[in-house]
Amino acid sequence: MEGETPKVLDFRSVSKRYGVTIALHDVSFELHAGEVCGLLGENGAGKSTLVKILSGVVVPDSGSIELRGAPFKPQGIVDARAAGIATAFQELSLIPTLSVAANLFLPRPALNRFGLVSASGIEREAAAILESYGVTDIAPGRLIEELPLGLRQKVEIVRALWHSPSVLVLDEATAALSDREWLFGLADAVRRDGTSVLYISHKLDEIRRLCQRCVILRNGRKVLESDVASMSDEAIFSSMAGRSPAEASKKRPSAVRQRTEPVLQVAGISGPGVDHVSFSLAAGEILGVAGLEGHGQSSLFKALVGLSILTEGTVSAGGKTVSVRSPRIARSLGMVLVPEERKSEGLFHDLTTQANISLPVINRASRFNLVNRSSERRLVEKVTPAVNLPERFLPLNIDALSGGNQQKAVLARALMTGAKCLLLFDPTRGVDVGAKRNIYEMMRSFVGDGGSILFYSTELDELVQLCDRCLVLYRNSIAGELDRDQLSQDRILSLASGYRNGAHQAAVEEA
Amino acid sequence: MAGDTVRNRRKALGNGAVAAAGLLIVMFAVYASHQPTALTLFGVGNLLNNTIVLALAATGLTFAILCGEFDLSGPGVIAIANVVVATTSAGSLGAAGSFGLVLLIGLVVGGLNGILVAYLGLQSLAVTLGSLIACQGVALLILPAPGGQVVDSIAYGITGNIMSVPVPALLLALTIVFWLLLRQSRMGLAIYAVGTDQAAAGLSGLNIRTTKLFAFVLAGLFYAIAGFVFSAEIGSGDPRISDSFLLFMFAAVAIGGTSLFGGRGGVLGTLAGAGILTVLQKMLFALGVADFYTNIFNGIIMILAILFGQASAYLARRPERRGT
Repeated sequence: MEGETPKVLDFRSVSKRYGVTIALHDVSFELHAGEVCGLLGENGAGKSTLVKILSGVVVPDSGSIELRGAPFKPQGIVDARAAGIATAFQELSLIPTLSVAANLFLPRPALNRFGLVSASGIEREAAAILESYGVTDIAPGRLIEELPLGLRQKVEIVRALWHSPSVLVLDEATAALSDREWLFGLADAVRRDGTSVLYISHKLDEIRRLCQRCVILRNGRKVLESDVASMSDEAIFSSMAGRSPAEASKKRPSAVRQRTEPVLQVAGISGPGVDHVSFSLAAGEILGVAGLEGHGQSSLFKALVGLSILTEGTVSAGGKTVSVRSPRIARSLGMVLVPEERKSEGLFHDLTTQANISLPVINRASRFNLVNRSSERRLVEKVTPAVNLPERFLPLNIDALSGGNQQKAVLARALMTGAKCLLLFDPTRGVDVGAKRNIYEMMRSFVGDGGSILFYSTELDELVQLCDRCLVLYRNSIAGELDRDQLSQDRILSLASGYRNGAHQAAVEEA
Repeated sequence: MAGDTVRNRRKALGNGAVAAAGLLIVMFAVYASHQPTALTLFGVGNLLNNTIVLALAATGLTFAILCGEFDLSGPGVIAIANVVVATTSAGSLGAAGSFGLVLLIGLVVGGLNGILVAYLGLQSLAVTLGSLIACQGVALLILPAPGGQVVDSIAYGITGNIMSVPVPALLLALTIVFWLLLRQSRMGLAIYAVGTDQAAAGLSGLNIRTTKLFAFVLAGLFYAIAGFVFSAEIGSGDPRISDSFLLFMFAAVAIGGTSLFGGRGGVLGTLAGAGILTVLQKMLFALGVADFYTNIFNGIIMILAILFGQASAYLARRPERRGT
């Protein structure tokens, strides 16, 4: 089988280290024309380093790469693209203040006869390109910052695709994407044209759907390379994590405390992007929120902590009607939001992990306004076991941590405040399997202790497994509510796509 | 869809600028109602003469700020340009020669700033503070005390008319044309991109270093031209006279709606900002307000202008938020 298709990429014993950290050690693999190869591994396993090497951003310390038989030593990202490797990055590489069209054609948009970039010209060109990839819901003149995350990801993918690369690297391309079938269709199409795709994802169903082969990395080393069809989920998980996740998937008894005052009661609230939403959240409950990209989930979470202003309705916490005008007030009521964009909204870059976690209670570790590092450490160490964040990471700069560990730190900070009610917005986005399991554990023990969680996730299986109830949003209001015994991915999906009765498999044009 | 795109572009690039232009018109109307000569050709020419130096210098600063860097070296370049014109234009080099030398100085200072910041990765605030101080020192070395002379051809040429159009108006128009072209060029896009998100700009394949170098060199050249025009206006050399410019340059940029974090704003706003500061001075003078009060008003106007810009940005975004 492999002998039939020519070898496109030959990655030979490539190593890369950053100081004492070995990011990649002696990794070799091949890509053949017209195949989709999965690349799996927990965060910190070396996937992003591998992607950066292929994109020409990072130069490997040793080893060699051949592309279509010629040595591949790119001088930079443009060079790599010209040689035939294009990448859609996980941390989107789009410029928020420029239009979709300008972003598609960076760094060298077409010039008109005056030597200038004509906005209407590139927008026309961009519209044609977007349409040829089946994207009709994005006006090319819109600024990137005006688009929801899911649409930005589409632009990022189209930007990599339209160069017609011989190797297409898709790095967590569905992390924020609601319309996965769109991407799957495109991947099949480019594969038929002989492009090879390196598909990086945490989602096993995607790997099974798309990939013939997969390569698994752990701690910078290749631990497995195999046909996907011949591997069980357990085998893949255990080679990624070095252990089996089966126990994590068992449903636990509900921790909901009946007959207590609801922790949070929301009655008919409306505001920007929120349309007459009502629900109540009991102590010990994990209340799920599901919805396709751009159906008001983000606005709802923001409204609850006072980041946008409500025009109607009431919010009560602990039986009393409250007016939450800022996250600070929300915090004093015991409500803490863990936001969507970890990179820009959740972290204080350049600070240590410890400082990131201790921030809300730094006064408790201070005397005469001076921070005492060891009492800060003692405070932080009370919460880090709950999220299973190893102590050795505490003194490191937060930027040095993998995505999964950064997210654990963000969650630890939320716990630090002594919150009674956590609002978790897609807390497992771009997080590896091991960290996901830690986050699930943390959520379960948090509600076990009487806390409550409002939990949005793009991954429906998480909602099905973890939630006591699930609200499904459609066009900024609640399309339906599913109880624990009714919860299934199909039902969520059909409500989320506007079907009242869950008969249809969702074919979704909405975004 | 076409209307949609036009509206969006306006919103992105014009918001602060529109607010600043509105404020400028209001202030000019108030000024003109107290000073009827303001609307005559002489009055307008006089106003432009008073604005053009600040406008050119603040335009230079805008380029550096748009690509996410600070540049304090402006008044230093202006000081050197001024003493060079005062010592050479009437003598060895003549008008054209001194202009060439001034441009070269702007190029060198801007180039050095750019290399230190973009290629050696030093912080722009520190680097350009250094070059500001060094340039002021060089200016004192060339001309230790006020004096020298600017040749008449420059002094009358720059402050006069060409075909009954005041030369400062031509310079202003040229600056606007240059900006509109730059904004539509690849380099213009690159400057916005680098100023918005340097990491994403790198992953988009833009060359961050050359973009920053370009912005600093362009800034240096505009400071140099500002220094040349300034020399024509005062007719002699004074190594110290530009010391107070720095804050006004930043004020003009900020009033014009350019974000000091980079990536948002533009030269049109800066020009309006420079206009506002100048009209304010003249207005207070016309109203008979004592000189030492003007700075208080300058500061208040700057804060008001920024409030105004924020408010209009908020209002522009509101209906759309409700719609989605």
